[in-house]
Amino acid sequence: MPAEGPILVATDIHRHFEGMRAVDGVSIEVPRGQITGLIGPNGAGKSTFLAVIAGTLPTSSGTIVFDGETITHLPAYARARRGLVRTFQLPSEFARLTVLENLLVAAPHNRGDSLFGALMGKGYWIKDERRLVEQARGLLKRFGMTAKESDYAGTMSGGQKRLIEIMRALMLGPRLLLLDEPMSGVHPSVVQEIQYYLQDLRREGLTILMVEHELHMVERLCDSVIVMAQGKVIGSGTMASLRKQREIVDAYLVG
Amino acid sequence: MTNAQVYYATNLLVYAGVDIIACLALNLQFGLSGIVNFSFIVFQAVGAYTAAVLSMPPDSANGAFQTYVGGLQLPFPIPWIGGAIAGGLLAIPVGLVVLRRLRPDYQAIALLVLSVIANTVITNAVPLLNGAAGIALVPPPLSDQFDPNTINYQYFFVGLTAIGVVLAALVASRIVNSPYGRSLRAMREHEIAATAIGKNPVQLKMTVFIVGGLIAGLSGAILVGFIQVWAPSVWLYPETIILFAAIIVGGRGNNIGAILGALLVPVGFEEVTRLLVKLNIGPPGLIPALEWVAIGLLIIGFLWFRPDGVRPEARRVFEGAPIPEDVANAG
Repeated sequence: MPAEGPILVATDIHRHFEGMRAVDGVSIEVPRGQITGLIGPNGAGKSTFLAVIAGTLPTSSGTIVFDGETITHLPAYARARRGLVRTFQLPSEFARLTVLENLLVAAPHNRGDSLFGALMGKGYWIKDERRLVEQARGLLKRFGMTAKESDYAGTMSGGQKRLIEIMRALMLGPRLLLLDEPMSGVHPSVVQEIQYYLQDLRREGLTILMVEHELHMVERLCDSVIVMAQGKVIGSGTMASLRKQREIVDAYLVG
Repeated sequence: MTNAQVYYATNLLVYAGVDIIACLALNLQFGLSGIVNFSFIVFQAVGAYTAAVLSMPPDSANGAFQTYVGGLQLPFPIPWIGGAIAGGLLAIPVGLVVLRRLRPDYQAIALLVLSVIANTVITNAVPLLNGAAGIALVPPPLSDQFDPNTINYQYFFVGLTAIGVVLAALVASRIVNSPYGRSLRAMREHEIAATAIGKNPVQLKMTVFIVGGLIAGLSGAILVGFIQVWAPSVWLYPETIILFAAIIVGGRGNNIGAILGALLVPVGFEEVTRLLVKLNIGPPGLIPALEWVAIGLLIIGFLWFRPDGVRPEARRVFEGAPIPEDVANAG
């Protein structure tokens, strides 16, 4: 039943780099309408796993089912079009596009976004464009970046680039948002802001899977948490329940 | 104006037109989309050869002093259209091999190598297109109806070239200013992130590569109709570098920059050096050799001091965007 149960089921995912097992048989389920945290020490394979789910990296073996559809062999762009949208650990804005353009470019369903549509001329796609400008401005307002709409994204601060990336992902109307350390390299005051926005999005029913290092943040934001170490899942549950498990505390939660 | 001056002026205008068309095409690929097409001149050449053999009589004509395939004697404008289509068709196999799997830096190397290979093959496969000697006596458009050796025909050809320029500029401006053009720019800025928001980079690159090939082919068809000869020596790989210099000097990613670049580098710069040759400074061959040095310095100088070119890509401000003062007052 696609409309119920977990939105993402990954089964026995392996990702090997020339013999190095970065992801070594990971199986997880991501429940709908919640924020799921993915934590673990450096080199645990969290970011690699996220990239495999998003299709940025191919799977060595295993299956990924997204909302009832097997997507294991779909390229990254096709997964994004189905609503499985990721962000990146490093800033990945389109530097020489304005903030507003960064949002517009992500929007599906623009008649001018094909060679044919472009050659047909402005009259063919201006309606779509106007609608999307309005939608993008709505997001900019919500994320407090209205004043920046005409600035090049490359000139924004680290925190603003994070927000741009989240807004850009939202323009696709995602069903599952994959966030790769959305707070890394961001000023503490902006961390609060991003946290607030993510909670807000969760309240609206958006499902999020996020890799995060900062455990207090995970505790505040995530409904449940998956712990990875050395390419494997070593535990899952709420943060409070995980703190009680000895091996997990040893592996990660304490120094 | 004396006849000589008219010939000089019309000659310059046709060359300017051809270079503008070529730069508009290269700007779509390189300036807008970030594809370093070091084989660009091959697409111009294939357009020229195709237009030539479509318009020429069979190679048994004129005492069979040259050999080539085709010789279909088709009426204008079929050779020009054929030249453009040939450029677009060539882009398909080249694009499929080069643009799908290789990293951008290797794409550039592969395309450069392709340019050298293509030139070598055409030079040595004599029966195909008459080898190094090239093909001559290419009939100018409508030369069966107008005498091409008149001043009026010169003006007529300038007009034909202008139509080509307008057509190329129309296509280029529609692409650059569309949401599709925006997707191309996003891919240029960060390909992996573009993929993550649902853009298929292979599809984007292939389409713009084919359009660029079509326009490049047209530029070759126009040029061969004017100079009436075409040989491997006119499309050696450094010719592509001159066009890259034009895009870099003019300003990447915008059509005005591409047009400016075409007028400044292939037209203006080369014209100046050609005049310098007439001054007989130094040993013969010195000025043409220094021209390449100057082109190189021009590219490095601009990349160093003014990487965005004379006319940088414009920042796009949308209708109804907040003006900074308004925001300050409101806040």
